[in-house]
Amino acid sequence: MWVVDEDVTLEGLGTGVAPAGTRRRRGVRIGAVPAWVRDRLATTPGRLVLVSVLVVVGAVCFGAIATGAEQSRERAAKAARSQTEPLLVQAKNLYTSLSDANATVATGLLSGGVETAANRDRYLSDLVVASGALSALTQEAGTAANAQAELRTIATQLPTYAGLIETARANNRLGFPVGAAYLRQASSLMTSKLLPAADDLYTTEAQRLNQDYHTGSATSTLVTFAAASAIALILLLLAQWYVTRISRRTLNVPMVVATVAVAGVSVWGIVGLVSAQNALRTAQRNGSDSVEALSAATVLLSRAQGDLSLVLVNRGTDTTDPLDFTAVSGALERPGGLIAEISALAQRTGTTAAAERFRAEYAAYQSRAGQISGLENSGQLTTAIALAPASATISEQMSENLAEQIEAAQERFSRAAANATSSFDGLAFAIPLITALATVLALIGLRQRINEYR
Amino acid sequence: MRRPLGYLAGLALLAASLAGCGASSDRALNQTLTALATRAPTAAASKPTPSRSCANAKASLRPPATLPAPDHMPAGSFMAEIQKQGYLIAGVNAGLYKFGYLNPATGNIEGFEIDLVDDLAAAIFGTAKNHVRLVALTVPQRLPFVEDGKVDIVVDAITVTCYRRTLADFSAVYYDATQRLMVPVDSNVQNIDALAGKRVCASAQSTPIEVMNAMPGGKRPVPVGMPQAIDCLVAMEQGRVDGISTDSSILLGFKAQDPGTKIVGPSLGDVPYGMAINKDHQDFVRFVNGVLVQLERDGAWRRLYVHWLGQFGAIQTPPAPEYDG
Repeated sequence: MWVVDEDVTLEGLGTGVAPAGTRRRRGVRIGAVPAWVRDRLATTPGRLVLVSVLVVVGAVCFGAIATGAEQSRERAAKAARSQTEPLLVQAKNLYTSLSDANATVATGLLSGGVETAANRDRYLSDLVVASGALSALTQEAGTAANAQAELRTIATQLPTYAGLIETARANNRLGFPVGAAYLRQASSLMTSKLLPAADDLYTTEAQRLNQDYHTGSATSTLVTFAAASAIALILLLLAQWYVTRISRRTLNVPMVVATVAVAGVSVWGIVGLVSAQNALRTAQRNGSDSVEALSAATVLLSRAQGDLSLVLVNRGTDTTDPLDFTAVSGALERPGGLIAEISALAQRTGTTAAAERFRAEYAAYQSRAGQISGLENSGQLTTAIALAPASATISEQMSENLAEQIEAAQERFSRAAANATSSFDGLAFAIPLITALATVLALIGLRQRINEYR
Repeated sequence: MRRPLGYLAGLALLAASLAGCGASSDRALNQTLTALATRAPTAAASKPTPSRSCANAKASLRPPATLPAPDHMPAGSFMAEIQKQGYLIAGVNAGLYKFGYLNPATGNIEGFEIDLVDDLAAAIFGTAKNHVRLVALTVPQRLPFVEDGKVDIVVDAITVTCYRRTLADFSAVYYDATQRLMVPVDSNVQNIDALAGKRVCASAQSTPIEVMNAMPGGKRPVPVGMPQAIDCLVAMEQGRVDGISTDSSILLGFKAQDPGTKIVGPSLGDVPYGMAINKDHQDFVRFVNGVLVQLERDGAWRRLYVHWLGQFGAIQTPPAPEYDG
């Protein structure tokens, strides 16, 4: 609420205290102005000096704010390109290789006492990929406390898991059913400790990347940049308007050049920010979105294949595997589920052929899985087990297909992310440099006028 | 002055709108994380069996004086239905080594109990070949599968109890197990009293756990329940428990898989096994009992026992059948 107190004098305002509940509306105008300014306001050259000061302050503010805005976006885009997305890929490698290892082992133990060499190789290469991703993440993930805890869990439990698997293998080879119990223990270690830790790491990295996307395309940064540019330009134009008025000359060349320079760098900056943002958006929409959805599908399919094999290995000992298979299939198939998302992303990225192939393979896989569970439920376990390698083959095809698609999506990401970061090229130097140059030019222009009064 | 301001405002507006259309979307990320967060549903825990008393839990229905010839089952009998169906479908165990287990080398379920099922099928069809289907069941699935008619018979190390008799009919006892104690081979423990306060494993909510819980305070071990009996062998190999107390049939299989174990001490209780059959099929119960008598008489039971379990201890004699109706 404004309370206008007409009796308040200049002197009173300068020294006294405004009555409670009132605001000083008029006093600030002159009372607060220091004597140095008041003296200069009295003469024209003095006023020109003040304008010079204003222009310098405005230019410094513009330079700082615009550079800050540009830097915040450039940092985010560069982080997305060369830090968070590569880490997401490592987290994905860890997650998919761990779940694939578990499925591979379960399938291998089903195939009779002697596991095929190909199956064993696949398990071992999964462990190699997992260890590689683990050490890459340990070096890079660095600071986040929860990430450290998850990495520790995986680093300590993975050898235990591998040990249990070898015990399961040895017993299985001897024809002992205790091998299946070791496999069950290993598998439950995988699903209760290792995979949740990998899932947490993956979620952390995906959210960090998402944070970079948000920072790299924040509307507030662009608005701040545009507003700072607008204010700087207004200041320059006002200064010229004042100079024109007192000197009756239409153009002050240095000041016009300064204005054009600031306008130029502003437009460059806005174009750069907008095109970087669009490139970043492309990197997300056509690149990492697909990487994420396809990796999740890889993880869930490994889990389904693991369940399918464990159903047969654990037949008569564990009833949760078929339930998990159903739950996982639901997450993939339901309307708006992962497969629908993958199809939508394929439409967006123009890769529908690969997505269609995946859908067809998935349908074949499910029908094979249905056949297997029908057989084992009707007491034909041996026939079901004999069919199991066929489902494993389809599962392998699907994961290869997905890996190819992930690679293609990764390339789309890299291309767009490179565009995003290159949009900033030069800006980080140009903004302060051109601002400084424009300031000097404006001061030269003003100095010419001030000198006319000497 | 108005014009440049107007342009600037327009530029700012343009920038803002471009920023809006370029905003990132979290949709794919959220879809991905939701799908990955799919949790496995947990299986319902099995309920403890209520205690019930009866005159003689082991007593079954008397077999007919003569068995029908194979492949000629009396019309209207349940065996005739099985014959029409083309196979005998049995619920069995897939984890009891040599007793009823999934042989990893062959992918077949094999063992003493499986051969008994084959003999039943042979008695109906003349040959077991292509006439047997086996469904591996978990402990809580065993009786419901008989009650719901999903299987014709369950031969799955089921201890005959008075309570279970209220849910299904049982054949005469085909195997007399006892509850025994297993410890590592280098252990000095001679009986369960020496394991007072120590961790002793059995499958969760099983009779052995109840037996241990009923022991007097000073002698009571700490019962450790595992989802499956075989998990107890894993636990003992890993040093997480000091002993296992369960059916002798199960322990024999453990010993066969791990020479680092031994069975010690006296029997802690009788564990008679019967085959569970739906209460509507009393003719089938009598038929099965007739086949069991035949297997005992012609020495087939003994041959099976020697083949599967003979190497692990003293040869048992077939249990004497008891009938009450």
